[in-house]
Amino acid sequence: MSDPVISVRNLQVEFVTRRATLRAIDGVSFDIHKGEVLGVVGESGAGKSVTGAAIIGLIEPPGRISGGEILLNGRRIDNLPPEEMRKVRGRKVAMIFQDPLTSLNPLFRVGEQLVETIRTHLPMNERQARDRAVELLTEVGIPAPEKRIDGYPHEFSGGMRQRVVIALALCAEPDFIVADEPTTALDVSVQAQIISLIKKLGRERGMAVMLVTHDMGVIAETADRVAVMYAGRVAEIGPVRDVVQRPMHPYAKGLMGAIPTLEAATDRLVQIPGSMPRLSSIPRGCAFNPRCGEVFARCHVDQPLPLPVQGRQVACHLYENESIKTAEVAR
Amino acid sequence: MSPRPYVEVTDLKKTFDVSKPWLNRVLEGAPRQFLKAVDGVSFDIRKGETFALVGESGSGKSTVARMVVGLLNPTGGEVSIDDISMTDPGQRAQRAKLRRKMQMIFQDPYASLNPRWRVDRIIAEPIRAFNVVEGEANIVARVGELLTLVGLHPDDGKKFPHEFSGGQRQRVAIARSLASNADFIVCDEPTSALDVSVQAQILNLMRDLQEKFGLTYLFISHNLAVVRHMATRIGVMYLGRLVEVSDAKEMFTHPRHPYTRMLLDAVPDLAMSGRARIPVAGEIPNPITPPSGCTFHPRCPLANERCKAENPLPINGVACHAVIEGRTLAHPVAA
Repeated sequence: MSDPVISVRNLQVEFVTRRATLRAIDGVSFDIHKGEVLGVVGESGAGKSVTGAAIIGLIEPPGRISGGEILLNGRRIDNLPPEEMRKVRGRKVAMIFQDPLTSLNPLFRVGEQLVETIRTHLPMNERQARDRAVELLTEVGIPAPEKRIDGYPHEFSGGMRQRVVIALALCAEPDFIVADEPTTALDVSVQAQIISLIKKLGRERGMAVMLVTHDMGVIAETADRVAVMYAGRVAEIGPVRDVVQRPMHPYAKGLMGAIPTLEAATDRLVQIPGSMPRLSSIPRGCAFNPRCGEVFARCHVDQPLPLPVQGRQVACHLYENESIKTAEVAR
Repeated sequence: MSPRPYVEVTDLKKTFDVSKPWLNRVLEGAPRQFLKAVDGVSFDIRKGETFALVGESGSGKSTVARMVVGLLNPTGGEVSIDDISMTDPGQRAQRAKLRRKMQMIFQDPYASLNPRWRVDRIIAEPIRAFNVVEGEANIVARVGELLTLVGLHPDDGKKFPHEFSGGQRQRVAIARSLASNADFIVCDEPTSALDVSVQAQILNLMRDLQEKFGLTYLFISHNLAVVRHMATRIGVMYLGRLVEVSDAKEMFTHPRHPYTRMLLDAVPDLAMSGRARIPVAGEIPNPITPPSGCTFHPRCPLANERCKAENPLPINGVACHAVIEGRTLAHPVAA
């Protein structure tokens, strides 16, 4: 396989507060290849968005990257000076935010915002940049782009605004895009359109996409691989079909069972007791141990590391033996 | 089954005046503008069932819920609960008795609990207001009982709302809704602010309570999977009109209205079964200037001239000319 576009190695992010230093991300590793969509799911506070922000260098004090490294096309970008990173951001890596109303400037026409971004990163004059902006708007499916380019953000509906934000992210043809909850603020019928757009663009342009969402359905539709996060750690990462249909980590199992679906006619949903721990009181050993149904002595002592099991990585002591078996088969 | 349904809603209408201020109208000659948020909605709810209203934002689901409980006055139409009219001014006295039997659970448990009151006072408020239980010691005991019922500890009553997580707060809101021994509960998006694992806890709790006390729910949600899990019957709303009402099972296996089919096809396919789907087109139009005839016609794959001119009336629970005439679309083959 080719080299990954983005490679995250043992990433740690800390937030320094007056009382204590809170570790929001604790040893997260993954790769995303060209044209691949990695879905990142988890509940609020799992560290999904912080991971995305760390990759594109938007962690601001009191937060800081305290360990690990992030490689873009083999080059380290987590330790670049802010000025250097500003050139990478937008040119090589871009971001799509959740709320399209706050990520567009309400005082400027969408055309001006697109042209500004294009001219910042590419050597083009006003005329060329405007033509390119119209092209981008056409590509993201905005009807009558020559006319809409002179509209203000408030003149667009929620779905159309999100399309503009996607066009904005595509301006400089980045290699990697972080989409942070891109459909959460939208209605289902519009969500379906935006999902298929992101999927199509990723494939056509060979971009690597990191799709952060709490909606497992969106992941199942869009992603090639999925990482399930819990309390700042990756619980399970693997091909989307395997993880969605046969999750292995007890948290992933619970999460899948908790989602009501259109197909299943179950009376009761699987219930994970309790809720996600606060960052200030993450339990010793495995962070999931107080809520886990299959907990045993070791879970309270050792933090499980991601183990390769049947083509995926699972951070759970239950799969220790399975993992050894997988390794032996491979040998 | 009782001869009459528990809740009856007939031809309910709500129009909001969204005109510019008087001076602007005079100076600019701007006309008055009205938004028909709810336009002739009729349905009934039987005792002990869960009736769900689904639809996208702006379809008027919450407005209907608010009119049913009397938080908004309808512009037209009739709501009656347990044979008592919510709209007839002559039945004010009977209505006062009805009040304690209905409660509402709101979407955002951060906004629906008073942040300066302790939880026991929040839960005791309906008990005191309706004199359900006499005597301070009995009230304390009742509040403890309610907290246990929703899976919290009686000692949690001494805490403030900010000390709880979102799911726990929603439990407090449920305990409050049960405090007056209500038997009809209107739930307006009760889980859409919660994480999935917490949503599962709350949905299971709501079903357990329904079984235990024979509660009747009017359940508002935009999430079809949640509705599928909770509802006995479902009404689908589009731009203030009810386009389809049917049995929950029936709705998911045999959706009839083209909009219902589109909504179902838009739900991400978690099972990855590769079921046949029609791609979704367009967005919900501006309700101030709704399309003529059937308001869904600009997005409908089956629309013809009649749909543009004539508003379809519900027949057998579906308001659609195409369904009545038997016009069908060849379903696309699984991709």
